[in-house]
Amino acid sequence: MQDRRRNQLLAALLAAIAVGAVLLEVFDPATSGIFPPCPVRYLTGWYCPGCGSLRAIHQLLHGNLRAAWALNPLTVVLLPFLTYGLAAFALFKLREQELPQPYLRASWIRALCVVIILFGIARNLPVHPFDLLAPGMAALR
Amino acid sequence: MFCSQCGANNTDTAAVCMQCGRSLQAGPPATPLQPAGVLQPGVVQPAPVAVQNYLVFAILATVLCCLPAGIPAIVYAAQVNGKLQMGDVAGAQLASKNAKMWCLISAGLGLGVGLIYGVLVMVGLLSGIHSN
Repeated sequence: MQDRRRNQLLAALLAAIAVGAVLLEVFDPATSGIFPPCPVRYLTGWYCPGCGSLRAIHQLLHGNLRAAWALNPLTVVLLPFLTYGLAAFALFKLREQELPQPYLRASWIRALCVVIILFGIARNLPVHPFDLLAPGMAALR
Repeated sequence: MFCSQCGANNTDTAAVCMQCGRSLQAGPPATPLQPAGVLQPGVVQPAPVAVQNYLVFAILATVLCCLPAGIPAIVYAAQVNGKLQMGDVAGAQLASKNAKMWCLISAGLGLGVGLIYGVLVMVGLLSGIHSN
C-alpha cells in the first residue's frame, strides 16, 4: 500500500521533470519570464553555482552546445551523469531493473562538492579568466 | 581485508570496497549499489549493505534549483559512502536520512519559490489588465 503511494509520488516527480523539460524546450528562460529567477541571485545579487542552468538546458535542447557552455559549464558537464542517475533510480523504483551504477568514493563526492562551491565563488570574481564563468555570452566572444 | 572483486586493500571493518563498491561482508555476493529495503518475494535478501546516498538529487537541487540547501545534501551523501567504507552501516543510514531530508528541504524551498513567483506573475497580469 505504502509502496503504491510511493510509486505514485515518484511517477508524479518524473512527470514534473518531463513537463519541465518540455517547457524548457519551448520557452527560453532568458527571455520568457515564466521561470522564476534564481532566489540567490535575486536576494544577494551574486551568482550561485546553478545560475544559468535552465538557460543552458534550453540551449542544449536546441543543440547549441557552445551557448550552453557559456551559460553554465558545470551543468553541461554534470547533466549526462544526472540524467543517467535519475534514469537508474526511476527504473529501479518502478520496474526493479538495475542499471550498472559506479560506486563513488566519499573523497570523490567531497571533491565534487568543493568544485561546485569554488565554481560558485569563481564566477562572481570580476577578474579576467573567472568572469568567463559568469552566465552570459562573454565566453563566446 | 582484500576485495574479492578488484583486490583493493580495505580496512578490516569496511562494509563495501572503497575501490569498486562491492560488498565486503560474508554471505551472498555483491549487493548492487541500489536503494536498500526493496523486498523481492521468494528471493533471500543479502545483508542490506547498500545505502542510498541521494547524490543525484542533491546535485540536481544544487545545480538546477539554485538553492544552497543542496550543499548539505551533498555533504551527507559523501558521508553515506564514507561511513560505508568504514563499516559503519548504522551511521551511513543516519547520513542517508539527513541527505534525504536536505533534498526534501531543497525541493520544498524550490516549490515555494516557484509558487510565490507564480502568484506574483498572476497578480502582475491581473493588475496589468485592470490598469488598461
